[in-house]
Amino acid sequence: MNFQSVIATLHQFWGDRGCLIVQPYDTEKGAGTKSPHTFLRAIGPEPWSVAYVEPCRRPGDGRYGENPNRVQHYYQYQVLIKPSPNNIQDVYLESLRSLGIQPEDHDIRFVEDNWEDAAVGAWGVGWEVWLDGMEVTQFTYFQQCGGIDCHPVSVEITYGLERLTMYLQGVNSIFDIRWNDTLTYGDVYLQAEIENSTYNFEASDPELLFTLFGLFETEASRLMAKELVLPAFDQVLKCSHTFNLLDARGVISVTERQRYILKIRSLARQVAQLYFKQREALGFPLLKSTPASLEPAEAKS
Amino acid sequence: MATFLLEVGTEELPAGFVASAIAQWQANIPNRLSEHFLTPSAVNVYGTPRRLAVVIEGLPEQQPERVEEAKGPSVQAAFKDGQPTKAAEGFARSRGLSIEDFEIRKTDKGEFVFVKQTIPGRPTPEVLTELIPDWIFKLEGKRLMRWGDGDQRFSRPIRWLVALWDEEVLPLTLVNGAETVTSDRLSQGHRILHPDPVEIASASTYVTTLRKAFIEVDPEERRQAIATQAAAAAKRVGGVAFVNPGLLEEVVDLVEYPTAVVGQFDPEFLDVPAEVLVMEMESHQRYFPVLKAEGSRELLPYFITISNGDPAKSGIIAEGNGRVIRARLSDGRYFFDIDRKQPLESYLPKLETVTFQEALGSVRAKSDRIVSIAEHICDQLSLGAPDRANILRAALLCKADLVTQMVGEFPELQGVMGEKYARTSGEPEAVAVAIAEHYLPKGAGDALPQTRAGQVVGLADRVDTLVGIFSLGMIPTGSSDPFALRRAANAIVNIAWGASLPLNLDRLLQDVLANYATGTVQDAAALHTQLRDFFLTRIRTLLQEDQGIDYDLVNAVVGENDAEYGDRALQDVLDVRDRAHFLQSIRNNQTLETIYETVNRSTRLAKQGDLDTTALDPRSIVDPAQFEKSSEQAVYDALVKLVPETQAAQAERNYQKLMDALSQAAPAVSRFFDGEDSVLVMAENPAVRRNRLNLLGLLRNHARVLADFGAIVK
Repeated sequence: MNFQSVIATLHQFWGDRGCLIVQPYDTEKGAGTKSPHTFLRAIGPEPWSVAYVEPCRRPGDGRYGENPNRVQHYYQYQVLIKPSPNNIQDVYLESLRSLGIQPEDHDIRFVEDNWEDAAVGAWGVGWEVWLDGMEVTQFTYFQQCGGIDCHPVSVEITYGLERLTMYLQGVNSIFDIRWNDTLTYGDVYLQAEIENSTYNFEASDPELLFTLFGLFETEASRLMAKELVLPAFDQVLKCSHTFNLLDARGVISVTERQRYILKIRSLARQVAQLYFKQREALGFPLLKSTPASLEPAEAKS
Repeated sequence: MATFLLEVGTEELPAGFVASAIAQWQANIPNRLSEHFLTPSAVNVYGTPRRLAVVIEGLPEQQPERVEEAKGPSVQAAFKDGQPTKAAEGFARSRGLSIEDFEIRKTDKGEFVFVKQTIPGRPTPEVLTELIPDWIFKLEGKRLMRWGDGDQRFSRPIRWLVALWDEEVLPLTLVNGAETVTSDRLSQGHRILHPDPVEIASASTYVTTLRKAFIEVDPEERRQAIATQAAAAAKRVGGVAFVNPGLLEEVVDLVEYPTAVVGQFDPEFLDVPAEVLVMEMESHQRYFPVLKAEGSRELLPYFITISNGDPAKSGIIAEGNGRVIRARLSDGRYFFDIDRKQPLESYLPKLETVTFQEALGSVRAKSDRIVSIAEHICDQLSLGAPDRANILRAALLCKADLVTQMVGEFPELQGVMGEKYARTSGEPEAVAVAIAEHYLPKGAGDALPQTRAGQVVGLADRVDTLVGIFSLGMIPTGSSDPFALRRAANAIVNIAWGASLPLNLDRLLQDVLANYATGTVQDAAALHTQLRDFFLTRIRTLLQEDQGIDYDLVNAVVGENDAEYGDRALQDVLDVRDRAHFLQSIRNNQTLETIYETVNRSTRLAKQGDLDTTALDPRSIVDPAQFEKSSEQAVYDALVKLVPETQAAQAERNYQKLMDALSQAAPAVSRFFDGEDSVLVMAENPAVRRNRLNLLGLLRNHARVLADFGAIVK
């Protein structure tokens, strides 16, 4: 199965089960969780079911394209469902089946792995899913987001698309993944890995990045004062990415590190709280919608 | 008698929670039952990743009938002129009894009204129904969660409940928001091997029924199966499974139906240090590595994973796991190759970017301080040039591996990688070994460094941490010891003890404080006192808890607020331990008794005098012209004889010699106190009195070379 077919299959699978299929968000972020489709929508009482591909940037994970398993830019397939349905594990296993992985043939395990992103005041508990020892998915029941208790609780399923595809295709390097029948992942991204690793570790300008961080931070606060929640959130994402770039460059000491994380956390909290108030003022409009039943589309008709 | 089964079915629980919950139920359920007058014959708790269960055997149909006694008002308050008062009537009413049921009994506080009441037992199932929600929701765990739209908290979502009173379902409901879980007799079998629900016919057949559905609910059975299968699997490939006990515990609770599966990796990875391979296999993959032979440190290119899958699919599962470990090992090899491209020393500048502690600067600065402290220790131990060169080199390089990629990835490999990289960088063997050893002991009971360089660098590193953190006023209090300073101080003392290093800690602390980066140490004298007290407390604790010395003997050698003993303990940490052990041995063989009375009594009385505690020779202190009785002269003579003995014993640290000499002197002192020509120490004449007190003071002083006898309890 090609990389693009994996994505298409998952879209079909989750779309059939009532999830809104949305497109990637256009600001750099370290994980699909930071997309507003997850980070903000997990807040408050409104039901929400969504699935999307999200590009992730982790500047520190760059290896100049030399490591077969580690890259500074990759994709996650993200599903978020609120409230968490009681058959979610079974549905997830069905999704593997749709990709041609028959659970009967493998050793599939749900192994404790709790998630915390202190920088955005979010945490949850869950598992990493092992497929014959390979971590292919992260499962998280959100408990807090932006410092706000999640009620109801959302469940987040994050598939590591490259890992999963490597497994399906039997290849040992990300760059050997067949994207379609003619081109590989390496054809598309190897040069970007080399150049961005060079940028992240050597060529980035720390002075400029420190300045940018300050500007994004100020802008986030300014926009929040105007109650422009979503534009403010974009600035918080930019702060977070700039911090990651500085961290990869090795110019943030241990103690400064904590200080930057606290700055971002404080902004994220404020955005989360503003978002909640905004939705409340709107009367939580999505409360009218029905939560995902997770029945396959054919069964419903 | 009936058997009761409760099974709480869940999504996959964390392994640590399964073990902890089983222990909590095993400890608490019998107590909760006995609080309700129920005494079962057995309480068996089980658990797998997807369930917690308890089977309670030998429960009565109902609680036994019991008689309860209640105390009412005093007779005075209950009766007036022979008639019951309102208080009496009220009491009777509250108990549902009448005045005729009253018994009058005498107590310490006068006569009171008592009633006896027979309470009928309630049906046991009814009691269980009330108790069970608390059993479930009062389980303690690290990170409990909410799920769905409810407010219940548990380790992972609860999905089914089985509750059987023998063959009958005990109706229970757990409500969590819009979801309700109701008990029945349907459990879940293995996800893959038995996808259909499992009907449990009776509480007593729980374990066997689930076994047929490929669930082994008894963790002990799983542990044994895993150990046996892993051993057999390793044998098949000609090796021995390396089973880390902590990992085994975890793996037991990661599977419901264990199957050992052997996989292999390319033998070329065996060039990577075994520690790295083991770390990758154990901590990332929960695999058991395979050793060439029992006790060997060499690995075979195989691993054992404990699968929860279908045993018939072991081939596919081994293959998949093999690919994962290949990717992991490639990572490890990549780090190992990259790290070795430059010599270990060349990592030093990068240590400047690693903060040790904000006010204390970088790990690079710490490395320089370790070198300087190591020099002081070398001086104290009078080490020769070759040792010294290796020690100072190891001190400089001991933290360099912290900025290598491998240690960045596996922090647990600090020191281990430093040793390897030192070797490949052509450092002397002693330097390489010391880099790994300076982290030892990693905790209480861990191995101590064996080489001189490892010992000295380990001491220096910890002394630096202690002095540095103390200088910031961050002194451990109660349970708060974020820099693990107690452990560091214990390690310092244990290293010195283990290697018989005559360390003068007192002087070392002073030297280090004097040289500490100026500006960080405000008041060296006050800090010195704080550090001394801290170490003395550690020495006390170690003597008492690790070395098994009686508490009063510890007081006798470390002193109770006696600066002289504090000085001695810190100036020679070996001597304080030796004196403690010597005292314990003479207590155990009962020779302590031969001098205890005389020395202890002398010590107590001598307090009335003012004799300096260091004086030993009576000839310049006691005036024989003042003697009134022959017993005084006898003590004097005994003391004169003691002087060379004590001085020799002190010089040789030969406390048996001192003990023997004191035993010789003891009879004379006994006569002085209680013999026919005994004296009254506190004589009226001040000169006579002083003379006598000085005799006793001198005896005390001789004994003080060993210990403060005043602190020893008979």
